[in-house]
Amino acid sequence: MARLISDPDARGELFSAYLDGQLTTDEVVVVSDLLDGDEELIREFRSLQEVRRSLRLLPEFEVPANLLPDGHLGDRLSAYLDGELVTLEHRRVTRHLVDCPDCRVELQELDRARIAVRSLPGVDTTSTGEIPVTPAARHTRRYVAAGIGAAAVAAALVVGLAVGNGDEPAFSLDDLGTRHVARASAEPGFAVFPASVEVSFP
Amino acid sequence: MTEDFTPTWEDVAHRYGRKIYNFAYRLTGNPDDAADLVQEVLLRVRKGLDSYQPGSFDGWLWRITRNAFLDGIRRKQRRPESALPEGDHHTLGSSPSPDEVLASVRLSDDVQSSLLKLPYEYREAVVLCDVVGLTYDEIAETTDVPVGTVRSRIHRGRKQLRELLTWPV
Repeated sequence: MARLISDPDARGELFSAYLDGQLTTDEVVVVSDLLDGDEELIREFRSLQEVRRSLRLLPEFEVPANLLPDGHLGDRLSAYLDGELVTLEHRRVTRHLVDCPDCRVELQELDRARIAVRSLPGVDTTSTGEIPVTPAARHTRRYVAAGIGAAAVAAALVVGLAVGNGDEPAFSLDDLGTRHVARASAEPGFAVFPASVEVSFP
Repeated sequence: MTEDFTPTWEDVAHRYGRKIYNFAYRLTGNPDDAADLVQEVLLRVRKGLDSYQPGSFDGWLWRITRNAFLDGIRRKQRRPESALPEGDHHTLGSSPSPDEVLASVRLSDDVQSSLLKLPYEYREAVVLCDVVGLTYDEIAETTDVPVGTVRSRIHRGRKQLRELLTWPV
């Protein structure tokens, strides 16, 4: 205690930490004792209090808007369609889609593109025995199961979400999921890579 | 932010972007440097989230922020330029009177220019405490020094500020 009273730096540290609420109960008692009736120490304490206050009252600036993401889903939409999002992220994306017409339109466009790519002709064996594999087919084989799952989960999570007013295309995640599943069942080339075909990747 | 929750980088941008911007602005007095830091931190966060292990997210984020800031300083040392404060020309708040605005600008200009005169370690500790709002433990984790050192740096920083400020304290 005597050291604290005679060492201005140690005393000042206590005062600063007291102002920040960072002292132990015992240290708070020490500060209270120090400030009890000692005008000089009270002045010192108040001056530190004023410096701290002036720092905390510094105006806070807004971060320039162009530095922040626009709040839309961006590349997560494709991952969503492909069933590549983990559960928590998947729920977040679904929640966003419920509230965001722009992202729903983008999702629909991406889905059309995705279907178009996946509808490319399937794989034929050649006379050399090598099998040409299109990028789409490669992608299909890897992700089709996850894709069907994602579409089904999306449909289940947002059943009843059907949007469309005036300018917006009518769209329903339920429809999306149904279309994926139906197509996967009806067109093996679309959704299921023939299991008997072995492929070699370049 | 809860300890076992991993946010997306968009969450981080919206939740922490302003704090990161103000951290850098108060350390450098330069809005361009602050904007650069926000971009750099968000980039590092986006890359780093894949390997982030749920734990002290704030500690993780502020370590990234600090490292990005120090890297920026090192880069600037290779091409020095003025980092003098320009003043707080875009203060926030609701319709204060003209006199209040002038007083506030003068006061914050004074505090900002005094901050920039502090040794880096003191300035960093004070800004992390009083501008960012971290606890001493969080500052210790961020700056990789013991809590006692944090306590000492914050006090010494404030003490020097008291001597540097031109208005009566």
